[in-house]
Amino acid sequence: MKKITMVLLFAAISASLVFGAGTKEQAAAAGGPVTIRWAYWGSGERVTISQKAIELYESRNPGVKVNPEVSGGAGDHFVKVDTQLAGGDGPDIIQMGGNIPDYASVLLPLDKYAGNLLNTSVIDPSAVASGTIGGKLLGVSTGVTMPALVYNKSLLERVGAPLPKTAMTYDEFRAYLMTLKGKLPSGVYPMQDIGVMSSNSTPFGYWTRYNGTPLYNAATASTAVTAKDAQKYLELFADYRKNGLIPPPDVAAGYAESNADSSALIAGKVAIGYLYTNQLSGYQAATTDELALIEFPGAAATKALWQAPSQFYTINKDSKNADETIKFINFLVNDPEAARILGSNRGTPASASARAAGSSSPVDQKILDYMQVAGPHTSPETDHVPNDTEFNSTLFLLYQRVAFGQITPAQGGQQIYELLLRLIAK
Amino acid sequence: MQAKKTLASRLLLNAFIIALGLGMLYPILWLIGASFKPSNMIFTDAGIWPKVFTAQNYREGWKGIGIVGFDTFFKNSFIICLLSAFANAVFCSLTAYAFARLKFVGKKFWFAVMMVTLMLPSHVTTIPRYIMFRNFGWINTFLPIIIPKFFATDAFFIFLLVQFIRGLPRDIDESALIDGCSKFGIYTRIILPLTVPALITTLLFSFLWTWDDFFNQLLYLTSPNRYTVPMGLRLFLDSSGMSSWGPMFAMSVLSLIPAFTLFFSLQKYFVRGIATTGIKG
Amino acid sequence: MLDLHRKKIWKENLGSYAFLIPWLVGFLGLTLYPMLYSLYLSFTKFNIRTPPEWIGLRNYLVMFVGTDSLPKDERFLNSVMVTVKFVFISVPLKLVFALAVAMLMNKKLKLIGLYRALYYIPTLLGGSVAIAVLWRRLFAGDGLLNMILGSVFGMQNLPAWISNPKYSLYTLILLAVWQFGSPMIIFLAGLQQIPREYYEASSVDGAGRVRQFFAITLPSLSPIIFFNFVMQMISAFQSFTQAFIVSGGSGGPLDSTMFYSLYLYIKGFGFSEMGYAAAMAWVLLIIIAGLTALSFKVSGNLVSYGSGE
Repeated sequence: MKKITMVLLFAAISASLVFGAGTKEQAAAAGGPVTIRWAYWGSGERVTISQKAIELYESRNPGVKVNPEVSGGAGDHFVKVDTQLAGGDGPDIIQMGGNIPDYASVLLPLDKYAGNLLNTSVIDPSAVASGTIGGKLLGVSTGVTMPALVYNKSLLERVGAPLPKTAMTYDEFRAYLMTLKGKLPSGVYPMQDIGVMSSNSTPFGYWTRYNGTPLYNAATASTAVTAKDAQKYLELFADYRKNGLIPPPDVAAGYAESNADSSALIAGKVAIGYLYTNQLSGYQAATTDELALIEFPGAAATKALWQAPSQFYTINKDSKNADETIKFINFLVNDPEAARILGSNRGTPASASARAAGSSSPVDQKILDYMQVAGPHTSPETDHVPNDTEFNSTLFLLYQRVAFGQITPAQGGQQIYELLLRLIAK
Repeated sequence: MQAKKTLASRLLLNAFIIALGLGMLYPILWLIGASFKPSNMIFTDAGIWPKVFTAQNYREGWKGIGIVGFDTFFKNSFIICLLSAFANAVFCSLTAYAFARLKFVGKKFWFAVMMVTLMLPSHVTTIPRYIMFRNFGWINTFLPIIIPKFFATDAFFIFLLVQFIRGLPRDIDESALIDGCSKFGIYTRIILPLTVPALITTLLFSFLWTWDDFFNQLLYLTSPNRYTVPMGLRLFLDSSGMSSWGPMFAMSVLSLIPAFTLFFSLQKYFVRGIATTGIKG
Repeated sequence: MLDLHRKKIWKENLGSYAFLIPWLVGFLGLTLYPMLYSLYLSFTKFNIRTPPEWIGLRNYLVMFVGTDSLPKDERFLNSVMVTVKFVFISVPLKLVFALAVAMLMNKKLKLIGLYRALYYIPTLLGGSVAIAVLWRRLFAGDGLLNMILGSVFGMQNLPAWISNPKYSLYTLILLAVWQFGSPMIIFLAGLQQIPREYYEASSVDGAGRVRQFFAITLPSLSPIIFFNFVMQMISAFQSFTQAFIVSGGSGGPLDSTMFYSLYLYIKGFGFSEMGYAAAMAWVLLIIIAGLTALSFKVSGNLVSYGSGE
């Protein structure tokens, strides 16, 4: 019995040692000045430049400390933030993406800061509008990005194929893909099957805008898409697939295009893919070939393209330091010096004062050139379908069912339509 | 003749083990090769041996995420894993001894309860666990990861040790009991020495699995200077396409080294004979 | 006399429970509350961001039969099928392979230490993010496997194994078997506990290797085989990380690698239906508990413990 007591005593001592270490750290953290917790996802370069911006801000504001809480990918980020929010322990700044409407209930409306602590006058009106959900300003755009087709310029030059024009109609585009097919070696396809990609609601969203039937209207909580529209989208790619303009479904499914490592374009399997402009530098860094951007087909006539914030800075409604936090966000998006540090990592700055300070790498220049040309072919962004993540995931599944021939495009169109209705009602 | 035959069969056996091993290790060899390729060639150069050889990935990777380097991540992982491994070995074997050898009321019930704790997918207990540890004030400390191990919450190891202890001949501890040995005496002087291979297994697995346990570390460690190796590795992968694969591979290779070393130095305890000395003595 | 006896039983119990204290405290203080809370959540609609809302059995109904307003969840049923298939193929394969390698690694060779460590390396990779890339290298349309099949055997028009819904699950089964290290080590530890005298005695009786294996190794190892079987089954049912990493979190193509736990995770954190995820978790618990209880029942006749049990 004596020895049992000893073991238990030992357990208690070691436990209290570990506990003690923990509480000491906690006390040290709590004793300081105002602390802003900034949760975002990103890696390497983004962390480094964000830290530089933090240091600059802290040196200017001695009473404030900013603690970054970094996760690698958006998936990790949201699992962590969700859990923290459920535990009543959310960070002050939460980086958001297209799913911002789903978080509306936990975010602080920023309208009362607009024009004072947050200088909205220099921010593009379209960027302010996209952060406004249900009539309230909930998110500040981190920078602007645009969907684009990206092609492997070096590959086309190697095989002696003509380079694509920046703007084409769908007919011209199909003819161009046919030309490419004749030039490319076997096993290399003109274009990636962009419906199998994880962010597949973007090409589909583009298609619905091109047809004048946008996916969602938040004001009326309705969709203009019909089963027929969705069917036509599926048939468009079925035609490409049949003619070998995109890879067969099992090859295409091997490349999720969520990242350079899973990209058919980087792997040299296709000549054309799609991305958001802020991804270009990451893709370019993963290959020795030169990449370049063109518009989606038909944008010039329909203005179906759009500019979107690549991310938002939002504030947790339970934040204890909302004033200090919004000041810091204002610094991140508007301050010229911060802009020089942050560059276009979170999108091309949406603030005129930040752009004026601009620093441009060759890739940034390519993006700016593209935006110059494609900018006039844009119209305001469509509202995000509620339950964004589920929409992407299920659309992906339905698209694949059609691609693998499990269901017809007509059935697929009907199911996509029903999915939209269900998610809007959810 | 006899000696010649054994030499031949021995060589054959070695050759077989090496051939099978090489087949299984191909992906690892590719990983090591890739860690020495320049970032923009990793996905275009298919071979194991790099066409262009660089140590840049290691230099860059070691810096981690710019503000905190991998030296910190390794240090944190070591603290968490060593404490966890030690705690698991001690407290799971105590519990296992009770379940395997002692008589008490409700034994079957508690054993069933213990097994059930293994069966609930952990993702659904994430939120209540988080709320609980938050109320304890443990967020952003190592406590939510280490402390449960001091309370034998890892039923896998209890069950493992139970099976090993039940496999031991019962007459030895009964005779010790007759000799006037206390229960605790039997545990320390007979059971523990006889279950060394199982204890080593427990130490090893606890270390490795805690090393790998990304999900809990992600949830409970919030400031970068508390981050661990798997968190550091995930930070190289960014969903917006800015991934640094080269450094990620390089640090993945490095992260195998502690576990490999630990395994290599502990495997010598898997030597036939340890278990039987003392029984038939 | 009776009193004395009772006192003795009390003392015996108290002494035994002393060993159980750490575990009991841990169970009651750390494990029980999250478990019960998740049981409560399974009867609610809980999107994580707003408080849970009681909906009775609805989550369970949607899983199996559907309700008036909500259709039956087809993806749930699919995830059950995928998981069951995975468990029934991967667990036996992994165990047989692990036992075979463990016996190989139990030989007395000079380099055996190194061999053991090398064979364990695949398992060391565990759920590393590098796995996704490695597996694509091997099993993509232009992966190593097809290169070998093409150049050595002249086979053509081979599928992209990893992204073809007919085969993708098998690449994950192979991944599970490839990471056979844990049961292998446990078998190896078990082999150490078999008294050498057993083999010596049977050799004298003229028993061959094969007979020794069936007469000595298997019975002596049966508690360990049983352990590995039960634990591998439990963990295979909960398989998550590898499928998550290899499929990029999608369970694709065509939900062919949508394991139960992966679907649960996507439902809970992706689609913000944590109540539904909790209900799924408890259904899984009941399935696993049933199969485990069955295994314990059946094992009564098959597993032999050391003398005296």
